[in-house]
Amino acid sequence: MTEDLVLPAPREAAADAPGEPLLVVEGLVKHFPVKGGFPIRRTVGQVQAVDGIDLTVHVGESFGLVGESGCGKSTTGRLITKLLEPTRGTISYRGKDITHARRKQLAPIRSEIQMIFQDPYSSLNPRQTVGKIISGPMEVNGIHPEGGREKRVRELLEIVGLNPEHYNRFPHEFSGGQRQRIGVARALALEPKLIVADEPVSALDVSIQAQVVNLLQKVQRELGIAFLFIAHDLAVVRHFSQRVAVMYLGKVIEVGDRDSIYTRPRHPYTHALLSAVPEVNVAGEDVPQRERIRLAGDVPSPIAPPSGCRFRTRCWKAQDKCAAEEPPLVRLAGNHEGHLTACHFPEEPTIEARDKDIVLDPALVALEETDD
Amino acid sequence: MTSPIDSPPGVEGGGASVVVDGEEPKKAKAGDAELVGRSPGQLMWIRFKRDRTGVISAYVVIFFFLIGLLAPVISWLYGKDPYTVYADERPELFDSAGVPVQPNGGISGEFWFGLEPGNGYDVFTKLLYGIRTSLGISVAVTLATVLTGILLGVTAGYLGGRTDYWISRVIDFLLAFPAQLFFIASMPVVVSLFVSPRDETPVYVRVVALILVMWFLGWMSLGRILRGTTLALREREFIEAAKVSGAPPWRIIRKEILPNVVTPILVQGTYMLPNFVTAEAGLSFLGVGIVEPTPDWGQMFSKASTELVMQNDITYMFFPGISMIIFIVAFNLLGDSVRDAFDPKTAR
Repeated sequence: MTEDLVLPAPREAAADAPGEPLLVVEGLVKHFPVKGGFPIRRTVGQVQAVDGIDLTVHVGESFGLVGESGCGKSTTGRLITKLLEPTRGTISYRGKDITHARRKQLAPIRSEIQMIFQDPYSSLNPRQTVGKIISGPMEVNGIHPEGGREKRVRELLEIVGLNPEHYNRFPHEFSGGQRQRIGVARALALEPKLIVADEPVSALDVSIQAQVVNLLQKVQRELGIAFLFIAHDLAVVRHFSQRVAVMYLGKVIEVGDRDSIYTRPRHPYTHALLSAVPEVNVAGEDVPQRERIRLAGDVPSPIAPPSGCRFRTRCWKAQDKCAAEEPPLVRLAGNHEGHLTACHFPEEPTIEARDKDIVLDPALVALEETDD
Repeated sequence: MTSPIDSPPGVEGGGASVVVDGEEPKKAKAGDAELVGRSPGQLMWIRFKRDRTGVISAYVVIFFFLIGLLAPVISWLYGKDPYTVYADERPELFDSAGVPVQPNGGISGEFWFGLEPGNGYDVFTKLLYGIRTSLGISVAVTLATVLTGILLGVTAGYLGGRTDYWISRVIDFLLAFPAQLFFIASMPVVVSLFVSPRDETPVYVRVVALILVMWFLGWMSLGRILRGTTLALREREFIEAAKVSGAPPWRIIRKEILPNVVTPILVQGTYMLPNFVTAEAGLSFLGVGIVEPTPDWGQMFSKASTELVMQNDITYMFFPGISMIIFIVAFNLLGDSVRDAFDPKTAR
């Protein structure tokens, strides 16, 4: 394996022109009913997991979706792969509306949208050989590759960096990283146009993470597959994605190309998220200090999200307007093309240190005062 | 307890089967044979073979099944059958009360296990055929309950929602039945469904009625376990992966879920069968199961405990009693071993 173990520096600004839109998501909503009550169970509330998001993934593009745990990233992925039924909104794939398509209607494009799962230990059937697992999707879709399915499986195993001789082995004989590679091979078996990768590396060891991310990147570039890369690890997304969307409590609050999001963020939440990434600065090195923002409290309950801007309960700039009016996702003055932000009072487009750190957590404030 | 990747020496790729990520597996015997992984089933078999208690119990259980299967052959070789009334054929062997003259229930070189008082049936062939009847009925009940359990349990677990709710309520309802009492009370009712009470009941009707009654109250525990297992499996990502590839529900149940519930089915099956053997024997003992002259394990106890027999000799209780104890103990030990082999992490 030639892949190095460290994440190389992010590629130069996405010069590759975005192709035609492959997947368009508009106003996608998923509410899960909360049942309760006695003796008659009825719906007493709605978990607003995804609440009206718009996304566009272009042909061959890798699109990152980041956010805290529970912000609806995975639900979005499962809605797009049709594992969940959307409450409202539309999902169209290459201009074809697949929002409420049944299994049979979906059959022709099923092979084009595939998924890579988070947990390599539960995503492979323990009672099937690797060969069976990878050839399963081909069998379901009636694909007969040249030279037989077994030959194709061996090719796929080779593509993902596994020994083709492991065809007859069982998942329990592999390590986590190898299992994830099998998962990638299974997703590639149908030659998809779009792969939804739901936190594909967060269950893996850090050194293995880099290998798998590099494998995915290789696959994405060489086979020209579009990726919807869902992750909470900002560094991984920065390495992998050309465009990035930031989600908070079921909403996309900022979307743009990688450089806009990582170096010129506008939404306060994006600022806070970026500042939470630990950085290693060698003393004396002339690197501009980054800003520090420490949020207080938890993400509000998605059963009863705050009115207006959903981030206002934790935002240091929140005003009355934020509670009354929901900010639209628009291009702000000074933003690059395609960089949209949903905020009434956006921040300056920089990540450099400000005069004073923003520390909202009273416990942290107390801690830092004793430190000084 | 040894680790599952342990293997007897000489098996290809044994201990080194977990290879480090990205590293080429070491081929000790390069080009010797194709790399073939061992399935969870094969690993279970390897673990089971190491369990001495389990293997011995398995032999005992197989021995009993062979006896049952080969009962006609054995009695043909032995030269007797369980229906001959020796009190009429050989009256010189019995006294005026119909009790065998010779001691220990008339055990002799000719009648190995003796003769029954009264009609004078041959105990040895009667026991052979009794085992045959009892095991036949129990196997049939086990198969029926396992099939029902799979059907209803997996359906409830996979479909969930309203189907699951109603199937679970039916299970709760049936579990609340007092089983033994229900068996005793309902046997005559079920029999009379087939035959008018005035006619003589054919043997097969009694057998079918026994199977029906025990099946009706026997499937719930397995059904419930399979429902739970399926419910847990349904949330696993490999099921979602199958859905994403467009697999129809039937294929998902057949290829993804059923192979993963084989373990609880086998374990429960080996626990259920001896229970059905004792239940069937109990019913025959109480006189609502198989009746004379059809030989049956449980009915031999009931015969042995009648006044005439009990007063004369304990021998009549001895042979069916010892054989049944050996069978039940062996089968339960086998069940334990099967459980251990499948699930080596659970401590006993």
